[in-house]
Amino acid sequence: MERLPNGLTVLLREMRAIPVVSVWCWYRVGSRDERPGVTGISHWVEHMNFKGSRSIPKSEVTRRVELAGGVWNGYTWLDVTTYFETVSSDALDAMLRLEASRMTECLYSKQEVERERSVVISEMRGGENDPRSYLEREVSGTALQAHPYRWPTIGYLSDLQAITREDLYAHYRRYYVPNNAVLVLAGDFETRAAMRLVKRHYGRIARGAEPPPVRTVEPPQSGERRVLLRRPSGASYLQVAFPAPALTDGDFPALLVLDGILGGGPSINAWAGGRGAGPSKSARLYRALVEADLATEADTQIIPTRFPYLYRIQATAKAGVDPERIERAVYAEIGRLAGGSVEAKDLERARNQFLARYALESESVTDAAHQLGFFETVATHRDYLALPARVRAVTAGQVARLAAERLSERTRTVGVLVPDAAGAGGA
Amino acid sequence: MTRRQELDNGLVVVARPNRAARSIAARLVFEAGAAFDPPGKAGTSSLVARLLDRGGGGLSAEAIAEGFERLGVSYVARAQGDTLDVEVRLLAEHLPEVLRRLRPVVAEPAFPEEEVRREVGQTLSALAEREQDTGAVAEDALAAALFPPGHPYREPAVGTRASVPRIGAADLAAFHRERVGPSGSILALAGDIDPDRAIALAADHFGDWTTGRGATGRATIPDPPMPEREVTLVRRVEGKTQADLVLGMLPGLRRNSPDLPAALVLNNALGEFSMGGRLGAAIRDREGLAYYVYSTFEAGLGAGPLAVRAGVAPDAVRRALDLIRRTLEAVRRRGLKPSEIRDSKQSLAASVPRRLETNPGAARTLADCEFYGLGLDYPERLPSLIRAVERDQVAAAAHRYLTLGRHALVVAGPALKEALR
Repeated sequence: MERLPNGLTVLLREMRAIPVVSVWCWYRVGSRDERPGVTGISHWVEHMNFKGSRSIPKSEVTRRVELAGGVWNGYTWLDVTTYFETVSSDALDAMLRLEASRMTECLYSKQEVERERSVVISEMRGGENDPRSYLEREVSGTALQAHPYRWPTIGYLSDLQAITREDLYAHYRRYYVPNNAVLVLAGDFETRAAMRLVKRHYGRIARGAEPPPVRTVEPPQSGERRVLLRRPSGASYLQVAFPAPALTDGDFPALLVLDGILGGGPSINAWAGGRGAGPSKSARLYRALVEADLATEADTQIIPTRFPYLYRIQATAKAGVDPERIERAVYAEIGRLAGGSVEAKDLERARNQFLARYALESESVTDAAHQLGFFETVATHRDYLALPARVRAVTAGQVARLAAERLSERTRTVGVLVPDAAGAGGA
Repeated sequence: MTRRQELDNGLVVVARPNRAARSIAARLVFEAGAAFDPPGKAGTSSLVARLLDRGGGGLSAEAIAEGFERLGVSYVARAQGDTLDVEVRLLAEHLPEVLRRLRPVVAEPAFPEEEVRREVGQTLSALAEREQDTGAVAEDALAAALFPPGHPYREPAVGTRASVPRIGAADLAAFHRERVGPSGSILALAGDIDPDRAIALAADHFGDWTTGRGATGRATIPDPPMPEREVTLVRRVEGKTQADLVLGMLPGLRRNSPDLPAALVLNNALGEFSMGGRLGAAIRDREGLAYYVYSTFEAGLGAGPLAVRAGVAPDAVRRALDLIRRTLEAVRRRGLKPSEIRDSKQSLAASVPRRLETNPGAARTLADCEFYGLGLDYPERLPSLIRAVERDQVAAAAHRYLTLGRHALVVAGPALKEALR
């Protein structure tokens, strides 16, 4: 790791088994940096940054990557915005040129802004079609009352209709500065040569003003919150959310282990993790909900975040099952955890699942670079490297205490979505 | 460096080392996908896949799950169109134990009545959900429009409301006995292991498996007839904010067709390259009508259609369809520009090595090459096959596969009659 004089953080990891390199450029900006009126702007900026720059025409941005046999993409979330290319290693120089250009000189023509407005709205509508993501959005907005994590990364329709070219460009210029960015390279290169290339492309970019911090802290919750939704859907859905510790909080590793016992453990890689994996069938929620024939699926969600966010438990009700029965079964399982039911074999299984996933989800150059960059952008990459040791140290007592303190009735938010065939649900 | 050995019982083991990894991905592939569901019992293969690890070989479902998960192993089994696939991902040191535990799962599932009853119920719940999913509704209607009754690719893999309740434990056991055995099946391993040792371990744990008939030689899947004229189906799904549309064209393509390289180039330029090829440029980039629009060939043992998919606002369906038709018509009539063909060839050829980068990707690719008889050197040969594609071959492929006017189109979403008028 090195920090350039302009503040750019550079992480390099040589992996020379195959002639491929993955380049990720991360920015510390996400939906947390928005406010009502411009929700969704960080994600829309990400879209605009594929539309060409002063030195790279739009038609070339993705073409160059694909001609190098590459894949490319980008995503925007609560804390981060990122772009990547995984290409044959002889294209490293071209990819660094592309990313350095993206940081400073994207075009934002009025015409492109208008075209992308309808693309982003289409993306939002596609998400709304899914009752699960609709419920997730409502639960987030209910569980969090003040912190900017409460609105969806895609944004609200009214804001997407109103955001101007000037709003977008100002957001881009405020956050896309080297001192707010992390560049990660993993793959087939020689570290010193790669660092010379990085300095050639990024060294002359001027440091910018420090972006404004997120000031709002979510006030404590002192009672259950509930939301009941009626939407056209083929099933009923339940989601229960609890306040979760931030990545750097001392309780975070214990939450990973708790979730391992309850839900089979989280994916550690927000980009590629969990793809193609089946449910964990020894997890307590699977046994209590799916094996008990109450739900067709049960899963959980932990996101490593900068600020406290949410731990979610979600289930799809089997036809004819009242979601309330599922809810009671969930609380019974939490009660068992809080009551000290965790045995050595539960801990061992949860740890082993975590450690295997930690290894599996960072093996390819794309995943290795993602992991270093994601955690460095949210907190530091050392927090990522320290996770295995911290997870190994978690005790049964810590899991029980965490369940009792954090997964309580006082702090939970319950969302239920039930089918409503009659009403039109259009947004 | 990839090794292949056929065991005496007919199971083909392929292994590829990846010393950069600490893990291994292993994939068992049986010619037992949804295409082989018994008549009237669509969903059988999918239920077999879901129930393999729910008790068998003298072990309870709980013991099987615990045995894998105690080691941090991830296990998943799924029915595809042609195949039933079982995949495990594990740390390399656990391979002997994982293969030992995998054997009874695939060879001796018990299909306990209680588990079968529950899975059938859960599948029916999942089908109710699918009826509200515009993408799934469109896919099911397209298959029903392109494939005649009785065709192996007509019914959805998950089954239907009519077929699933008809399936019982005896059906699952019979399907398993008939189709899931060593002969004609594949075990592909990729990761941190010496290939010879991987083959020896596979022989230790699977070499004496003789139950189950398994497949002998690949099945023949008949070509569906061309539709006489174009078919347009509208499926109303209330309360949705976006419509999904899919346009499918026959004759389609088989996986081992000699046309495949030219068809890949055609499809890449039409609906993949950069932001979705010509379709993406016309519909997403220039008009901003859709977040996603792309095309694919679904080539299997039998011919699968060339399909174009897009998600658009209900009031933009008509405009998007016009653009899709115009784009397809233009490519069919005038072919692709030399620069488009050059870009697509370069991009496809250069991307082949990346498919072997991850262990699950390598295991999937190797199993695929073996299953479809392409040869294990296919990933090495494919780039030169693609580079050798000539412009007139792409033009011929466009003429053959872009059969606008005899296509099937499905639009699923809210209030579409008005939008299409």
